[in-house]
Formats: sequence, C-alpha cells, structure tokens
Amino acid sequence: MATTARVADGTALRSDGSAPTPGVPEPVRKRGPWRTGLLLASPAIAVLALLFIAPLFMLVYNSFRTQAGDPTLHNYTRFLGDSFYRDVLWHTLWIGALTTLGCLVVGYPFAVYLRGRSPRARNYLSLVLLSPLLISMVTRAYGWLVLLGPKGPIADGFHALGLDAPKMLYNDTAVVVGMVHVMLAYMVLPLMGSLDRIDPALTPAAKGLGASGWTCFWRITVPLSLPGMLAGSLIVFSLTVSSFVTPAILGGPTVKLMPYFVYTEATSNLNWPYAAAIGFVLIVVTTILTAVYARLLRGRGGKEVFA
Amino acid sequence: MTTATESERSTATGKAAGKPIAAAAGGRARRLLGAAFAALVGLFLLAPVLVTIASSLTTTSYVTFPPKGLTLHWYAELLNRPEFLDSFLLSIGVAAGAAVVSTALGLAAGLAIHRYPFPGKSVLDRLFSSAFAVPTIVLGIGLLQWYAQLGMASSPLTLLLAHLVLTVPYTVRLVLAGLAGLDRSAELAAAGLGAKAPRVFWHVTLPAVRGPLIAGAFFALITSFDDLTIALFVVTTDMQTLPVRIFNYLQYNYDPTVTAVGTVMVLFAAVAVVIIERVVGVAHLFGADPEQ
Repeated sequence: MATTARVADGTALRSDGSAPTPGVPEPVRKRGPWRTGLLLASPAIAVLALLFIAPLFMLVYNSFRTQAGDPTLHNYTRFLGDSFYRDVLWHTLWIGALTTLGCLVVGYPFAVYLRGRSPRARNYLSLVLLSPLLISMVTRAYGWLVLLGPKGPIADGFHALGLDAPKMLYNDTAVVVGMVHVMLAYMVLPLMGSLDRIDPALTPAAKGLGASGWTCFWRITVPLSLPGMLAGSLIVFSLTVSSFVTPAILGGPTVKLMPYFVYTEATSNLNWPYAAAIGFVLIVVTTILTAVYARLLRGRGGKEVFA
Repeated sequence: MTTATESERSTATGKAAGKPIAAAAGGRARRLLGAAFAALVGLFLLAPVLVTIASSLTTTSYVTFPPKGLTLHWYAELLNRPEFLDSFLLSIGVAAGAAVVSTALGLAAGLAIHRYPFPGKSVLDRLFSSAFAVPTIVLGIGLLQWYAQLGMASSPLTLLLAHLVLTVPYTVRLVLAGLAGLDRSAELAAAGLGAKAPRVFWHVTLPAVRGPLIAGAFFALITSFDDLTIALFVVTTDMQTLPVRIFNYLQYNYDPTVTAVGTVMVLFAAVAVVIIERVVGVAHLFGADPEQ
C-alpha cells in the first residue's frame, strides 16, 4: 500500500531495530513498507521478547535442572513415567475439550439469536453475556458452590419433583459448568464479530435461488462464521486448560488438573524445576493441539470466499 | 446495521409474504423458541451473580441462598477493612493501564502484520497465536523467576507488564480479525480519489477496526482486573490486587463480607459499562456500525 508507506516514513528507523526476530528476511522490494512494518510492530515485539519468550526460556532451562541447579532429565522422566501424572494430563485436556464444546453448543445459537436483534436488545443481552466477567472469579466460583450444593436451589428443584438430586459438586460436571459460564463470552464475542461481517444480502440471494432456511444456515452462515468459531474455540480451550481457580474451588480434592500441580509444586513443595517441567509439558501438548486444530479449520474460513 | 437486520428479519418472517399462514406460524414458533433459549442462557449467566448479590444481604454469618433476612451489616463491615479499598484501587489502576497499552500495541502490531512485509513477520504472527496456548499459571511462575533474575522488585508496573502478555495477543487477534473483514479496495479508492494516507487511515481503516479496538480494550481491562493466576506469583503481601485479597481471605473464612465485596465490584462494573455506553455505545463493542 504505497499511500500508507508515507505515514511513518521520514521518521528515522531506530538503528537498533528493536528486538531481533528470527526468520529469513524476505527480499525487500520497497524499503518504506518494510521499515514501517517493523516500526509498528516493535513495541509488541519487545513485550513478547522480554515478558513472554525470556521467562519461558528460563522456565525450560530450569525444568532440566535439579533443585540444586545440576543438569538432569529426572523431572520429565518422573512425570511421564508415572501413570498418575499422565492421567492428570489427559483429564485436563478432556475438561478443556468439554468446555469448548459446551461453549460452542450454548454460544453459537445465542450468537445467531443476537444477530437478529435490534441494537438495543443486543446491548442488554451483551451486558448479560459479559456479566460473569464483571465479578471476581473467586466470588463467582463460590456462587456456583452455593448453587450446585446439596442444599442449593438446583437440588431443591430436584427434590420438589420428588427426585434425588445428582451429585453436582466436586466432580467434572461442576468444573465444566463453572468453566462454560466463565468462557461463554470469549466464545460468543468473536462469533458475533464473524456473523456481523457476513454480507446480509447473501441469505436472501440464496433463498431467491431456491435454498431452504437450513441450507442457507449450513452453507452460508456456518462456513462464513468459521473464523469466529476458530478464534473462540482456541481462546476457550487454552484458557480452560490453564485455569486454576475455578477447577480448584468447584472440582475440590477429587478433580486434579495440571495447573493445580504446577501451583502446588511451586508454592507448597517449593520444587521449582518440577513445577516448570509440568508446566512445560502442558505448554507443548496444548501448542500441538491448538496448532493442529487451527490447521484443520483454516483454509475453510470465509476470508477466501470473496477473493 | 439496523437496515441489515431489518432486511434480514423481513426475510426470516417475510419469506411468508406470499406463502400460506402455516409458514408464518412456523417462523413465530421458531422465534419464540429462540427467545426461550436466550432467556435460559441469560439465567445461566446471571445466576451466580444474583446468588452473590443476594447472599451479601443475609443476616446469617455464613453464605446461604436464599438469604435469611435482610441486612446491610456486611457492607458496614467493609468500612472496617480499608485493605479491600486499597486492593481495589491497585487492581483498577493496573487494569486501566493494561487496557490502554495493549490496545495501542495491538493496533500497531495488527496493522504491521496485516499489510507490511518485514522480516520475521510470520514468526511474530505465530508467536501471538501461541501466546494463547501458554497456560497462565506457567507464565506466572516463569515471570516470577525472570523478574527475580533481573532483580526487579514487585510493583504495580511489573504486574502491568505481566498482564500485557495476557492482553496484547487478544488485541492483536481482534484487530487482525477486523482488518480481515475490511475490503482493501475501499482504502485504495479513497487514496485514488486523492485522500492522503493519514486521512485514509482515519476515515477508512480506523472505523473498520473501531469495534475490535474497543472490544479489545474491554477484554484487556477485564482480563487484568480479574486475573488471579499471574498476580498470585507477582504480588507481595503488602501489594495485593483485589482477586488475590479475596482469595487469601477465603482461605481462612467465608463470611458474607466477600459477597459484599463481590457486589460492590459488580456495581462498579455496571457504572463503568454505563459510562462506556454513554461515550461510545456498548453496541460498538460488537461492531454494530450503522454503515457497512
């Protein structure tokens, strides 16, 4: 874009060129855009380098050390060689997947419903959607504790119907309910953004060509909202598997997930290298999973449709 | 946007214009079903908040729902605890800072990634995506060790910087999503008609990402304000954010003081939302631009 090249041009590029980024320099056609891009990106690059990459390198380094600081593989062999810890890992991913699915199932129809409302109704419903985020996560979790408890209103409802209330606390159900509640906004917001960008003329056009309502939904709305689904799912999954507070409070002593062990190894047992190793295993696994997921969905997104 | 929804709704129902009444009835049934579903989702979302507010009014010394009796005793109790106010001010200050900084960084980086060739661009893009995949709790430990290594003492600034790692990837993502939906030909047309670059940016590019930017700022504010996981590792005993303060308080007692704090936070958030509504309109959060 030749015009925007002029925006930041003329300002001299700082010779230190900000944080070095790996990667092969592309052949430079025009020097202007090249500089502008680097200049614009430099603050974000600095944040990433100093507050994200560096701490993680440090963590990985520590995970291959004993507490005394000698090189060792013991932290990893201990984790991967123990079926207890392996189960903890699977269970964490399972809860993440369930929560993501729950958010999609609840969130997608909700986003579609919002799309057809007047701006005013959307405002109110959006406030309701954001309301869980306006309350401290600790307090929120305790709210669920009261709600799902054996003397809570939900159990009372079961009793009123003459039924035995199922156990709803200190198990996976409680954790997933609590997590979906927190994460729903993170799923619905990107979805709404995606749905809003769909050309409103498409559906009538398809209908004019004889498509049914369902066909329009599956062939137009769903494919074009894939970018939103992708963004929402990635956010929800990643946040869920790294959540510590909600699972700790609602899952109780029986539902033990990875972040809990990272926390206790670091704070109670003061075994920093082992905490780092557990954390690193979680990072590697979630990175692989989200990358695969993104690869599967990308390319089917709506961006190319109009190209 | 209104026109869009109007035309949409007219197609949803108005499809029945030339059709038998049964189809119109079907449309109405579907709308009722949608409304019922939305109401259920709303109840699900609000329930814990309502329970928290109601519980703060109970006369019992423990949290219960429905509350027994009504009293403001627990709010009076708050006045004897200035540490909650200190924590609140710390939290809101850090959150506001994180929102402003990450919005600016996100816009700049989003534009850079979207339209400029520069070395390491794809790496940068991938790094932003992978930042999501890094568990917060792991970041917390890493940052703690890293700060210790650098000899940086805990301060609101170190906390704000730590929160940027959580928030900047969001704002970049949102800006990129907004730019992806922007038709470049509009910019080229504006430039072709003689608009200078800043003018194109201000009148064409910026409106396209206004929604994502406000949404991003809001996300950042919430994420920072509500963060407990990172804060647990970065704070000290004499510098506790509100979530940390509540969390620590709950370790030893769970009296309705905490639900009173929670309620005050909800009220504060409600005020903030009203202000945002007055200034920009919450609808803009969701990109409900009048012209598209």
